[in-house]
Amino acid sequence: MNERQLLVTFDHADDLLSAVETARRERWSIVDVFTPYAVHGLDRAMGLRPSRLTWVCFICGAIGGLGMLWFQHWVAAIAWPINVGGKPWNSLPADVPVAFEMMILLAAFGSVFALLAVSRLYPGKKAVMPSGEITDDRFVMVIRQDNAAFDADAARDLFEQAGAVDVRERVTDEEL
Amino acid sequence: MKPSNTPSSDRLTTLLYVTATVGAALLAVGAFVAPDRIWSNLLVASYYLVTLSLGALLFIALAYVSGAGWSVAFRRVPEAMASLLPVTGLAVVAVVAVRLKDYAWHPRGPHSGDNFWFKDWWLEPRWILTRAIVCVLLWIVFAKLIVGISRYAGPHSGTRSLTSNVRLSAVFLVVVGLSFSCVSIDWLMALEPMWFSTMWAVYQFSGMVMATLAAIVVLCLMLRQQGVLKGIFTDDHLHDLGKLLLGFSCFWMYIWFSQYMLIWYSNIPEETSWFITRTHGPWLPVFVANIIVNWAVPFLVLLPRPAKRNPGVMMKVAVLILVARWIDLYLVVFPKTVGSTPVFGLWEIAAITCGIGLFGLLFFRQFDSASSVPSSDPYLNESLHHHC
Repeated sequence: MNERQLLVTFDHADDLLSAVETARRERWSIVDVFTPYAVHGLDRAMGLRPSRLTWVCFICGAIGGLGMLWFQHWVAAIAWPINVGGKPWNSLPADVPVAFEMMILLAAFGSVFALLAVSRLYPGKKAVMPSGEITDDRFVMVIRQDNAAFDADAARDLFEQAGAVDVRERVTDEEL
Repeated sequence: MKPSNTPSSDRLTTLLYVTATVGAALLAVGAFVAPDRIWSNLLVASYYLVTLSLGALLFIALAYVSGAGWSVAFRRVPEAMASLLPVTGLAVVAVVAVRLKDYAWHPRGPHSGDNFWFKDWWLEPRWILTRAIVCVLLWIVFAKLIVGISRYAGPHSGTRSLTSNVRLSAVFLVVVGLSFSCVSIDWLMALEPMWFSTMWAVYQFSGMVMATLAAIVVLCLMLRQQGVLKGIFTDDHLHDLGKLLLGFSCFWMYIWFSQYMLIWYSNIPEETSWFITRTHGPWLPVFVANIIVNWAVPFLVLLPRPAKRNPGVMMKVAVLILVARWIDLYLVVFPKTVGSTPVFGLWEIAAITCGIGLFGLLFFRQFDSASSVPSSDPYLNESLHHHC
């Protein structure tokens, strides 16, 4: 679906941060903000929700750790008990290292693959960028013109006052 | 820039003074009534406090060597802790010196030297004392130099004092690695000279760093509440300290388990003896509680991000970890020196209150004797605007 967007480019991270706050105050919907490096405080300024990735990580880790504890107990004490050094079949200390490794493995894989899935990334995916400058030295905020009340000229003036070096409109069906 | 004494800090000083005095008086009485228990308590308390001040110096040195800027704003806190090394170091050497005979390698038969020539030489009482004095003196010298350079750096010293402290810190890291390994083995592991663990030094190291971080959290939050570090020690600093605390709690558990599992697996009597006494009978609940308070609770509480940014939660977890550290050391010392049943009574409370009172009094005196922020440090601005 085609949508009209406003691409606002900045030279400085501070200008970008204050412009993001302006856009939020005016209730314009920000598609995304592109920066060459992580800008501190940007997530707070954009009002992003805390990442849910931590929960994926925790749950995968718990499945890995507890699952492996159960599996080793089942193997060593129920399915095929073997006497190792006269120790009890259900020896917890012996199970801990493998459970620990499996917890880390699943937590790490779970986080990485959840991240890839949520951001729809896969090997060989073509990068979609609003502008090549964002990989170099510029900051771009993309705003969606999602209703008729949006006054692009007023927005342009406001952003130029806030230090934007370039404000451009575009119509696109690319999903950023 | 000396902070003015607020009524709350005056009350705190009085309270610390009273607890220190009452605790010391009780200990003095106890020295005649129950000398073994008092000595064990003094060993735990002095070792606890010396590792707090040594851990603080280690924290400062690590920040210098790694070029870390974030911790500069509240560096006066670990600096004041490290400045207590002359007192805490002297205390632990005195406690060890009083009972040097307990550390004597035994049995000292005519032929024992053949198999155990190294132990024979290493655990010679005078040699233990010499090592203790040398190591503590080294720590004191490095504390004086590093803290002194940081405190008296002039406003125009630029990066000169930073560079000297980075160099000193690099040397100190090597010194502390070797010296702390030696004395943690001498002062605690050698209480049971037949027993040995190659994980011991790193086990003690992990506990030291964890307790130091917890103490820094507690003291910074107290000073922020008093207004001294208000607007300087931010929630972002708290968050990073919380991450380190979580990390070192897990590291302690990792090392604790590595030591336990190696011994459990190989199941050699001379190695298992240490754990047998602690996992059987009335010591077992303490043994289990030690793991719960040192790792299980801090781990689950500190996992979510909001918990690490919440001063109330962080204060509670940090205090819990400080208690846990005491239990950890109690479990190391008491089964050997006091007996087969855990004891907790007047003498333990006396040693704990005396330790807290003394450490608190001396800490706040040290903290007040310098500006509360290292204003000439080149990293200060970065630290004041730290985000994580």
